[in-house]
Amino acid sequence: MNNDSKILIVDDFATMRKVIRNLLKQIGYENIVEAEDGVMALAELRNQKIEFVISDWNMPNMTGLELLREVRADSNLCKTPFLMITAESLKENVVEAVKAGVDNYIVKPFTAEILNEKIGKIVAKYQ
Amino acid sequence: MNSDNVIENINKITSDFLLLDTLSIEIRMAGKFLNSLEEIIALDKDPVLKDLSRVAKGISVMLENMILERLTPGEAYEAFEKGISVMQDMSEDILATGVCRIPADQYLGALSPFIDAPPEDEKRGEGIQETHESEIPSKEEKAEFKIQDESLMKDFITEGLEYIGEIEINILNLEQNPDNKEYINAVFRPFHSIKGVAGFLDLKEIRDLSHDLETLLDRARNNEINVNPDLIDVVLEGADLLKEMIGSLNDVIEGVRSEPAIVNNSELRKKIASFSEEPLKEEKGVKKLGTILVEDGVITTEILEKSLQKRTGTSKKIGETLIEEGRANSKQVLNALRKQSRQIADTNTIRVDVKKLDDFVDMIGELVITHSMIKQNIMLLKSDDRKLMSDISQLSGITSELQRTSTSLRMVPIRQTFQRMARLARDLARNAGKDLEIQMVGEDTEIDRNMVEEIYNPLVHMVRNAVDHGLESSEMRIETGKPARGLLRLKAFHKGGSIIIEISDDGGGLCKEKILGKARDKGLISGEDEFSDQEIYRLLFLPGFSTAEAVTDVSGRGVGMDVVKQTVDTLRGKIEIKSIEGEGTTFTIFFPLTMAIIDGMIVRVGSEKYIIPTTAIRRLLRPSKENYTRVVGKGEMLNVMGDLMPLLRLHDVFEVTPMYRNPWDALVVVVDAGNRSKCVLVDEVLEKGEVVIKSLGGDFKNVKGTSGGAILGDGNVGLIIDPEGLFELGEGQIL
Repeated sequence: MNNDSKILIVDDFATMRKVIRNLLKQIGYENIVEAEDGVMALAELRNQKIEFVISDWNMPNMTGLELLREVRADSNLCKTPFLMITAESLKENVVEAVKAGVDNYIVKPFTAEILNEKIGKIVAKYQ
Repeated sequence: MNSDNVIENINKITSDFLLLDTLSIEIRMAGKFLNSLEEIIALDKDPVLKDLSRVAKGISVMLENMILERLTPGEAYEAFEKGISVMQDMSEDILATGVCRIPADQYLGALSPFIDAPPEDEKRGEGIQETHESEIPSKEEKAEFKIQDESLMKDFITEGLEYIGEIEINILNLEQNPDNKEYINAVFRPFHSIKGVAGFLDLKEIRDLSHDLETLLDRARNNEINVNPDLIDVVLEGADLLKEMIGSLNDVIEGVRSEPAIVNNSELRKKIASFSEEPLKEEKGVKKLGTILVEDGVITTEILEKSLQKRTGTSKKIGETLIEEGRANSKQVLNALRKQSRQIADTNTIRVDVKKLDDFVDMIGELVITHSMIKQNIMLLKSDDRKLMSDISQLSGITSELQRTSTSLRMVPIRQTFQRMARLARDLARNAGKDLEIQMVGEDTEIDRNMVEEIYNPLVHMVRNAVDHGLESSEMRIETGKPARGLLRLKAFHKGGSIIIEISDDGGGLCKEKILGKARDKGLISGEDEFSDQEIYRLLFLPGFSTAEAVTDVSGRGVGMDVVKQTVDTLRGKIEIKSIEGEGTTFTIFFPLTMAIIDGMIVRVGSEKYIIPTTAIRRLLRPSKENYTRVVGKGEMLNVMGDLMPLLRLHDVFEVTPMYRNPWDALVVVVDAGNRSKCVLVDEVLEKGEVVIKSLGGDFKNVKGTSGGAILGDGNVGLIIDPEGLFELGEGQIL
């Protein structure tokens, strides 16, 4: 993965997508795709080559966890790195995501440095 | 069988562990281990494998703590390594001897500091993210409040307010189905999202409040507390406060204030905190009501039991009660919600400044006018240039399509308005101690954004009337054989160029005798007049009329319906009442879809052209000489199908020279306004059609009798008649 790699941001709150987009920009990632929920995210994932998924947990239609399970169950997508965003108060739920095969998680609110660190860790593992 | 499986799992874990290339377990691998361990843990019922299962459970909890950053990867690695070897020893022993002689306790004892959940405050200090979380806001607190990213903040304000609006609808669904986790989640989610972004934007107050509300709902989701009206009230109150706080950010952006409003929310926070103490408070009150009823001898214990079940339902298990009472309804509610969320997923949207949109729509209006002027000029040239003609007609098609699209841009679903009404009705009913179900039909019906605010007030009055005066108390309802729970229905649909809004209740209906009696008392009508039903109902709209027996704090002060009528008239709407005594009342309001275009009759008087709004026109006729009379003190009158109506000469009012002075030579338009009808005399009716309303602007804005101007197809300007003002002008002349 490099700076041109396509990253998918999944969050139902548009402002949050923008926040994450801005943070990603700060650490050099500009090739970004957005999706409002799991259903749209899956469509994007099947539609184009996406190298990294950053997804919120709590979304209508399909939660981040459900999306993760779909991704891991799809033979074409199962190797896509997946970073889950969660809130401090719901952190305990993260274990479920870990069992479902999430690569890492990040707690809101976070800084660009932490995001960079998390992405770096995941990417290093895949190489 | 079991032990084979165990060994397979242990081997899997061991080989994965040996392949780790660092001295730490990263999260993806931890997940894999957890899944394998789970299968071993599941065997705790097997007496032989019991201890092995306990060790697996211990390792699993330790891994979870590592994932949650309660212990370092190094510590976890070491403990895990030991754990694997214990499990291997145990499984080998079992395989060899059939029993497990290695005790689990020794290893678990060594593991205990990594398993026991650390106390709350200790947890706080650990973990990289958490330190960041608590550091960022405190750093900002000292510094002056500064908006770092204005565009982000603007997005947050718009989207945040939208999300709070969503809470209002979903909470109504939740109140009716308190056990439905989907609904709780739908209310939970917006607070959660707002909290998330507020954290990034350093909006501490907003973050804290939404955090509290989110936690409260999370507890309801986990069945720790009940979803009862108290909880709903607190959530709504919280939503209101958040709305205020987020709204005030706008002022910060515009420089009106230096920092966001700090809304006093200590009361609310107290209420939120109190939920753990008295989760079932509401139920006590409910029981009291039933007891009183029996004491008063209003109902028997048998009926009490029935209604009690229903009442308990409202605070606890209304979902079930609802399904028992009327299955279709709960289905409708659920379907509406699904439809809504599907829409959210399906539409791609962008946000545009309303000002830009308004300008855009205005310019298209101009374009349409200019186009029709050019078209008419070319027609006048009597050119036989076929190419030009076909081009022009193509351009006509494009411009009218453009106009249609541009008006649709400003259209928004009426949902939000309905939600507000539903919420209002709900609050009113609770205050009045009435039990109320609110149904909404056609919330997707679209209306011009600019109309939304205009129709708000009349709707509020109607809803207040329905809840306060229309609906009876539960006791009275039961007495008259109706279900204890009243029904208020809000319905919207399109018909022609209008949006029709119906507000109906299944309450007591309008009592004609009471209305007539009141009107006589107030001297609004004389004793011997005969009235049709519609005429009686229309008396309600007279200023100073109110039939309410008791004055409540929200309606029934003698203002209300006349205000409704006035506003509806100003908006060029129409209002109709249908009512059956004892069964309920339906108010139907017709509003034009947009205020930018008016549907009118273009009439001519002398050389001038005027537009009369179609909604005000009752009929067109050419009177005969016999129908014309003069009545002393009242001026000229016309007999229109048995009704004597005043004649109003448009040419006199606007001082133009008409073509005809005798009514029997000219045409008469019967116009309704403010409960009166008059015959307006014009020379000719030219056509009926839509015109784009132009403000006369500046000094001419408040000229009586006109509400604006329109550029007509021939390029001339026509004045749009305001019927009410016109009548007043005419009356001034008689005096």
